[in-house]
Amino acid sequence: MQGVAGPENEGFVTILARLEQWKAQGKISAEQQAHLAGCSREEPFSLFLELNVLLYAGVLAFVAGLGWTVSTWSQQLGDVVALAVLSAILVSSFWYCFSRGPAWSAAETAQSSPIFDYVLYLASLVWSLELGYIENRFHLLSGKWDLYLLASAILFFFLAYRFDNRLVLSLALSSLAGWFGLTITRWSANPDDEYRKYALLYCLLVGVGAALLKRGGLKAHFFGTYLNIVANVLFWAVLSGVFERRGFGVWFLALLAACGASLTWGLARRQFAFVAYAAVYGYVGISWLIIRDMGETAALSYFVVSGVAMLVVLIQIGRRFGRPA
Amino acid sequence: MRIYSAASEETLRARKFLKEWAGDRFVSKEQYELLEKENVSELRTTNIFLRLVLFFFTVIVVGAGTALFFQVFFSPSVKASGVLAMIFAAVCYAGAELAGSKARLYRYGIEEALAVLSIGYLCIGLDEALFMGRPYSSAEFVVPAVGAVFSLWIWRRFGFSYAFLAAMILVVFVPGYWTSSHEAQRLMVAGFYAIGLGVVVAVRSRHRFDYLDEAYSLAEAMLWLGIYLATNLKILALDFPAQRWIGGWDDSALFARPFYWTTWVLIWCLPVIVLVRGVRKKDRFVIAVGGIMAVLTMVCNKPYLGWVRHTWDPMILGVLLTGIAIFLRRWLATGPNRIRHGFTAARLSGKDKQWMNVGSIVLGQLSPQSITPSAQPSSSDFRFGGGQTGGGGAGGEF
Repeated sequence: MQGVAGPENEGFVTILARLEQWKAQGKISAEQQAHLAGCSREEPFSLFLELNVLLYAGVLAFVAGLGWTVSTWSQQLGDVVALAVLSAILVSSFWYCFSRGPAWSAAETAQSSPIFDYVLYLASLVWSLELGYIENRFHLLSGKWDLYLLASAILFFFLAYRFDNRLVLSLALSSLAGWFGLTITRWSANPDDEYRKYALLYCLLVGVGAALLKRGGLKAHFFGTYLNIVANVLFWAVLSGVFERRGFGVWFLALLAACGASLTWGLARRQFAFVAYAAVYGYVGISWLIIRDMGETAALSYFVVSGVAMLVVLIQIGRRFGRPA
Repeated sequence: MRIYSAASEETLRARKFLKEWAGDRFVSKEQYELLEKENVSELRTTNIFLRLVLFFFTVIVVGAGTALFFQVFFSPSVKASGVLAMIFAAVCYAGAELAGSKARLYRYGIEEALAVLSIGYLCIGLDEALFMGRPYSSAEFVVPAVGAVFSLWIWRRFGFSYAFLAAMILVVFVPGYWTSSHEAQRLMVAGFYAIGLGVVVAVRSRHRFDYLDEAYSLAEAMLWLGIYLATNLKILALDFPAQRWIGGWDDSALFARPFYWTTWVLIWCLPVIVLVRGVRKKDRFVIAVGGIMAVLTMVCNKPYLGWVRHTWDPMILGVLLTGIAIFLRRWLATGPNRIRHGFTAARLSGKDKQWMNVGSIVLGQLSPQSITPSAQPSSSDFRFGGGQTGGGGAGGEF
């Protein structure tokens, strides 16, 4: 890569030199200049993100090992010991969270301790582990396994809202999706009509619920999480309908409507993830309908022409709306 | 050598800083608007989502266009198609150059896709034109070698870090054409990376506080990781995510004893060296790679020594990681102004919070999938495990 000196670098000014210039021109104060110079040099160097990743990985490794150990040694340990260990971890985690947690507020709240979020995450994962163990050993709800997922989802929603935790909110949403019979693995294997209906119901429930909660001012900052998950589930569901040989018309119309809504929302709110969803999911669905009965040459021609058209449209969108995020 | 001027790229960097500082309220809205107007770069950028989508559609257009060319105009021999692929590589590269130099596209997706495709077409073209249909020849090393050199050129010219990664991956295939010795192959790969590391370390010191620092930091981190992976003989014995905690594929017979035990010593030394360097240089990527290497070493140690792995090993690892995080956080927090040796555990930028939010959504969705009970069947002797139903479940199988 090129160096910073030389005639080809005319006009090259580092950020530190710029800060000096701005201070000299009176555009920023001396205090600001000193502070911003420190920021640009990363002084002090924050390990906030790294320590959080370490905590997350630690909790995940611990729970994975715990599950492995309990499942492998449950016969030798006995149910009482296994459940006692799991319950002890669960109760102590919940005790920590409820005794040290911040007072509840409908607005975004800061945690009382840097490790708080991960203790709550640990409690949530151990809860699921213990439920799984109990059901597998004692078959209390044999045949109605989904109720565990529903109960877990309700608990996780409560915890997420009580302690303002997005990790647990994501767990709640995936547990609820599990209750609806939605999984990524199942999806790819068996995307039949029944699953699609459940997926739409899930989207409706979560979407409407999220909108109501936002309108009510309850943790309004969670809305983005809901919307991204709902958008992806909705697009997958609708796309799977478009791929059907029969009765795809209604799903195609639904896809167009979803793309329109996603595009409008993305452009209006400058949330370009939704523009990307509309472009990619919409293109895949429409292309499938167009090329499925085409010959190879015609299909390739279609991809060239439509791809260029998409590029032109997206560049126009980018010019008009899409400044760097 | 670089397609963009240093002034333009440094201006973009200044604008990025300004945006962050405005978000963190380190500068007022009025100051931000004034300074942003004064720091204009002629390079055209876009946001990450449009960048990805533009990349996707460029690949579709060029890929379909290439296939259409072969479909419509002629069905050439393998050799001729190889030559054509190299011509397509040249066309793609010319397109990337034009997009960068004339249209001034910068991390826009389009020029990136063209550059990436040019690497792919070049490798395919070389292989088909020179070696397809012929008996195996050690001269075939030319394909990955030229691909690696061209990827490095793309990295230098455009600054795409993934081109550097592509070069590193292509280098892995080169020694296989020269020798069948596994030890020699690993030594050569590690040697290539070490040479690259020496060059990067020597050059980057001049760019500590300019726009090239991040690119060199990432390159150095990737090279350290490459050296580690070439050194660790047990990394492939791990069948991630965790099925092989109890036993794994033992390939130790492929290597001579002295070599084997030397690598064991090295996989313990390398994380320490890398972490120390990362901390001394305050280099985020190098620190992260040092951490990853340390975890991998702990995971690989038992297979190396031939010891039996236990189900509770991940628990111990989890406790260790959590303990280190808590200890470091507390130690840093008790320093003057919550700073020790220039490090702090406090969040200083809103950017970190954004990363945490995105990470929470993604990891919260993904992590349970791998450790979640599958759907409940009707039979009572059902054993669960394997991740079928989503939800916040944990733990393998019962």
